[in-house]
Amino acid sequence: MEIKVLFFGVLAEVTGTGFKHYNGVINLSDLYHRITDDFPEIAHYNFRIALNNQIIEGEHPIKPGDEVAYLPPFAGG
Amino acid sequence: MASKYLIEGPVTSVEISVYLDGMAAAKDTGGHSFFLGQVRADFLKGKIVMAIEYSAYESMVNTEADKIVESVTSEFDDVRSVRIIHSTGVVRAGEVSLAVMVSAGHRQQAMQACSKTVELIKERLPVWKKEIYEDNSHAWRENQ
Repeated sequence: MEIKVLFFGVLAEVTGTGFKHYNGVINLSDLYHRITDDFPEIAHYNFRIALNNQIIEGEHPIKPGDEVAYLPPFAGG
Repeated sequence: MASKYLIEGPVTSVEISVYLDGMAAAKDTGGHSFFLGQVRADFLKGKIVMAIEYSAYESMVNTEADKIVESVTSEFDDVRSVRIIHSTGVVRAGEVSLAVMVSAGHRQQAMQACSKTVELIKERLPVWKKEIYEDNSHAWRENQ
């Protein structure tokens, strides 16, 4: 079973997509390496990570069915 | 779009009227405070902003806006209602992209709670904006 990664703001533009699925990922840093393999440009941007709608600081395990989002600094309002 | 907090395109007078009409029955309400955020035709590096294109992480907007409303109504116990509407998609200069509408028993908390809600939105709502200039170029902007 997969996990879904969503890209927002400038990251959606940089990756050319709003989302991508990944298999066999065990934690957030593992996921980051897989994503930067696909989209090296991402390493140049600031962003926070949300796991199932919660902002996560640092490492965290990932399980199948999770939704991860890469969130550039907000600009609402 | 399923979110009660998001609207495609600009916020219009319809949304404001709907809110006021809905509050007419609230006999314990003595004041409403509204903030309407409008797209400004900024002049940056020789270019004029013609529009802003907003995008949002909808499911997280729902959870974060729920938390903002809960936080504000807990902090301001005279507040009866907090309504947040944020645009997605393209909003042109001169159009409104955010409405915060707060109703309370008395004016002081209505105004304070409205101001607090706007600040929390700027800090926590997962929304992004792309400024579109007169030459069709664009740039991503962040809140300070």
